[in-house]
Amino acid sequence: LAVFGRAIHAIARISDEFWFDPVEKGLALRSVNSSRSAYAYVFFSSMFFQHYCWTAVSEPCQKEKQLSLPCKLIIKSVLPVFRCANVLEKNVEKCSISTNPSEQHMTFQLLCKHGVVKTYNLTFQECDPLQAVFAKHMCPNILKVHSRLLAEVMVHFPTSQEEITLSVSPTKVCFKSYTEEDTDFSRTMITEIHLSPEEFDYFQVGVDSEVTFCLKELRGLLVFSEATSVPVSIHFDRCGKPIAFSIEDMVLESSFILVTLCEAEKEVVSQELHSPHQWHRNPQRDGNAPSTDSAKPASPLAKQQVKSIPRVGERDATGGAGGEATEAPSQVRRLPILSGTREGQRLTPKFCTTWVLTSVNICIFQFHSLFFGAVSYKEQDAMAHTLQSLATASDTEEDLGPTQSSQV
Amino acid sequence: MRFRAKIVDLACLNHFSRVINTIAKLAKTCTLRLTVCKLYFILSDKVANGGASMWCELCQGNFFDEFQMEGVAAEHNEIYLELVPENLSRALKTAQSAKAVKIKLTNKHCPCLRVAVELPSLSSSSRIVTHDIPVGVIPRRIWNDFREPSVPDFDVSIYLPVLKTMRSVVERMKNLSNVIVIEANLSGEMNLKIETDLVSVTTHFKDLGNPPWASEDGCQSSSEGRDVESMAEARIDIKKLQQLLAGQQVNPTKALCNIVSKRIVHFILLHEDVSLQYFIPALA
Repeated sequence: LAVFGRAIHAIARISDEFWFDPVEKGLALRSVNSSRSAYAYVFFSSMFFQHYCWTAVSEPCQKEKQLSLPCKLIIKSVLPVFRCANVLEKNVEKCSISTNPSEQHMTFQLLCKHGVVKTYNLTFQECDPLQAVFAKHMCPNILKVHSRLLAEVMVHFPTSQEEITLSVSPTKVCFKSYTEEDTDFSRTMITEIHLSPEEFDYFQVGVDSEVTFCLKELRGLLVFSEATSVPVSIHFDRCGKPIAFSIEDMVLESSFILVTLCEAEKEVVSQELHSPHQWHRNPQRDGNAPSTDSAKPASPLAKQQVKSIPRVGERDATGGAGGEATEAPSQVRRLPILSGTREGQRLTPKFCTTWVLTSVNICIFQFHSLFFGAVSYKEQDAMAHTLQSLATASDTEEDLGPTQSSQV
Repeated sequence: MRFRAKIVDLACLNHFSRVINTIAKLAKTCTLRLTVCKLYFILSDKVANGGASMWCELCQGNFFDEFQMEGVAAEHNEIYLELVPENLSRALKTAQSAKAVKIKLTNKHCPCLRVAVELPSLSSSSRIVTHDIPVGVIPRRIWNDFREPSVPDFDVSIYLPVLKTMRSVVERMKNLSNVIVIEANLSGEMNLKIETDLVSVTTHFKDLGNPPWASEDGCQSSSEGRDVESMAEARIDIKKLQQLLAGQQVNPTKALCNIVSKRIVHFILLHEDVSLQYFIPALA
């Protein structure tokens, strides 16, 4: 139970709400943060639970299709249920989670010692599934290490440290605080940790790279993985491509996928080239053009990029798509999202993530599906074959063929 | 200007960390003065600090296994640096199991104290964690601002009560008032008082003892010939007192304070190899 609670806490670091998605094989929890720069996925197989019962519910309008029951919950309401993971272990004997589709709420019941029963009824929203597609097996760099080591490394960085750069070569590994050209060195303390490859359970470096990612979002996974004591695998590539931290064992698996900062000059253009047919074609996108994440000051580098790639604030993206909710189902818009939503005067990181907003007529809420990483032709084929439970292809124009059935 | 030092002994490292933690609680920014045999942490009584000032002195030989320093010039063989002690404290915090800690003055993008911690690891090569702490080099022409403060002409000098007790008393009082009155007399009695519109609280300490101060040239100091029962008092900012007490992680060998009535309170905390003096001015 503590593990489950820790998972919720970890996901809570990403966003305020998460997708609760029971499927036949188990329970999947997913979350994505508001700037679409971090995605968390935790899957508990049915064996993790003492008792797991799932029935498909069919939507009235789609008699032939059996949909599972994906729904969205607000984290803040769920967190108190699992507030103190340690206390949970001691006091709670059993926790049961049940939903009733006719009622719009989900019931969490904690049966505690001394006959105390705590029941929480939480409302949820029905929504469409959320998936991220990330071809882990295509990553040239894979490190596998016990979570203890990662925690020991991260403890050297101040809790306020937002971004960390991981730099690898075949002979060394280095985690350091992220600095950029206009960092004020006279005010910032910079920390660097050098490790030798021998410290890793598995060390494969196909390409020397230096990736920068957000530490805050990762800390949740670190705590969670310590609770499970499963080693953490890190899959990544060059800068600009996402980095995945995942853990996997018999009864659960989890992945946290974070975008990595890319050097404005180098990677941005190459990201785009990979899928020319998808980009810059949609007239609508320009209409939705840069209202930047308004509250945050735009960074100088980001401004440079505006010329080459229109920047769309995440609010716009969702807002815009919402406006299209009633349009034809297969309309696809691809929007490069560049600006992260970092607070303050930090350089707004340029996350070259591509993701797709599709408005599908069938369902009430928006359908978000995320493609991480280079969306290259090669990868499109690879995605059709990806096996990881994480990497499920989603409804898009290209994949309307064979993979659609694996959806949901 | 060069500086490099190394600590290998864990006990020395812990001790040094504790000193740095204490300093970090007292000052956001302070001056580090390096000489051949001593380190000084100095906070001068500028208005920005609320008038409080600090002088902390350590003998480098008690902490460092290696210590090499070259000052700005031969006849001024000292280095004055301005730094944020909290950074140093943080760098040392995770070094508690280190094999060695090296500190070096470098100048990459800007002058920095580079703290390199060598940590044991499961593999054959150790882990190295480096922290680059930015520092400011203080030019010689303003070194005079950082002279050792002299002991004021006090009215009463008294040993402090057990710091732990004093700390918990002051912490409770901090919730009620911003100003605390500290008063003491030559009979070893001290009172800590706060007074607000609604409530006034006084804590009395007895039998504390008054340290003997030998007057330097035999002339009468203001405390001699003074009525033993009469109290010298000063109203000070309670937060400063609380910070001083909170920063003490180990009981000092000697702890005393000198009160100049209505002017200033001078605290002296002595450990085996560290001495700390802290001046809190009285409020109007």
